[in-house]
Amino acid sequence: MCYWTGHPVTDLSLASDEILAERSADGDTVAFAVLVRRHGPFLRAFATRITGSAADADDAVQEALITAWDALSSLEDFGKVRAWLTSIVSRKSTDRIRRRKPSSQLDDESPEAFHRGPEQRAIAQSQLDALADVLAALPEGQRQCWVLKEVGGYSYDEIADELDITPAVVRGRLARARATVISEMEVWK
Amino acid sequence: MTMETPPPGEPGDTVDPGIGGSGYTLEDLSDYLDHGRLPANPAIDDNAECQSVLASIERVGALSRDLVAKDAADNPALDESWFGSLFAAISNEAKAGRDIPLSSPDPRTRLSITEGAVRELVRAAGDGVDGALVGRCQLHGDLESPGSGIRVEISISVLLGAPVHEIAATVRQRVYSELLAHTELSVDAVDVTVADVHVVPDLDATDTTGSGA
Repeated sequence: MCYWTGHPVTDLSLASDEILAERSADGDTVAFAVLVRRHGPFLRAFATRITGSAADADDAVQEALITAWDALSSLEDFGKVRAWLTSIVSRKSTDRIRRRKPSSQLDDESPEAFHRGPEQRAIAQSQLDALADVLAALPEGQRQCWVLKEVGGYSYDEIADELDITPAVVRGRLARARATVISEMEVWK
Repeated sequence: MTMETPPPGEPGDTVDPGIGGSGYTLEDLSDYLDHGRLPANPAIDDNAECQSVLASIERVGALSRDLVAKDAADNPALDESWFGSLFAAISNEAKAGRDIPLSSPDPRTRLSITEGAVRELVRAAGDGVDGALVGRCQLHGDLESPGSGIRVEISISVLLGAPVHEIAATVRQRVYSELLAHTELSVDAVDVTVADVHVVPDLDATDTTGSGA
């Protein structure tokens, strides 16, 4: 019950993103908590695919949400809060990557040898499992560009800005990632 | 399907006939997709192998989004200690807004209520109306000068199927009387905009409705 009107407390989980973001901008932490619970799992999954680390993803998402809370009232379209949160998460994720090591070292080296034949690849339970394997085996720089492009929906220039590399490098990494992913996933067609 | 991968980092290699002899590389086709296949290029659109490669590019992109969605669906719970430290870190102070003076029986004491607290009062008043959820709440006017008229602007979401006009009118009335009862603000107007509708999920249905995005 609401403590002074005696009315039943409204179920905010029914509210749209827009309403929740507006309330959050006005300082309603309960609305922000609903927003975080609604989109947190996606943001964490996205950050995990970018950073390749669940711990880094948790930190990046938390940092992003603190930044978002402070900046919410500057948001132009409250209905697009999820996309806005996603962009902050990608920035915080790439910040973590940059802190880890210079991006130039992530260019070509694959984290481990990945030359499994089609028979072994078919062991994966589903094409999503197979894709998870393929992405995990991509050189780190390629994987980051791929996830930012295909999941985040960012342009080459935006990715270049975020990763502090040139658009030409982004283009090259994406070209190589695309060739690998398409040929590895061909068997799942 | 055979697919030719352009040799990476070999700009001097210009004899590449491209995919299906179209003269276009995988990267070119990807750019073409990024531009919404515009302007239309018959050399690509009429080439079966290019079409097949375009479909593959789209497919692995969609699969990548599915993969992250599945990761999220497989791990829907947020760690409670993570959640706790997030909410310990965010502060309401930055959102408290202006100080609104309250008259005090003791001239040596200065009383005030924050703009943030008034917004909270407005939200609670509006939420208390069945079928209404308050979104944005803005207070316009000189809050710091007692007696100067102010205008309250709120957006609300109304339960789908509920009487919109009646709900908006009740919210306006309820907000007005709560402000009268709990603040000394001189309220000239309460403007209510119905900005959204929401639905109560059907509890009998087995499929879970997605987010209210």
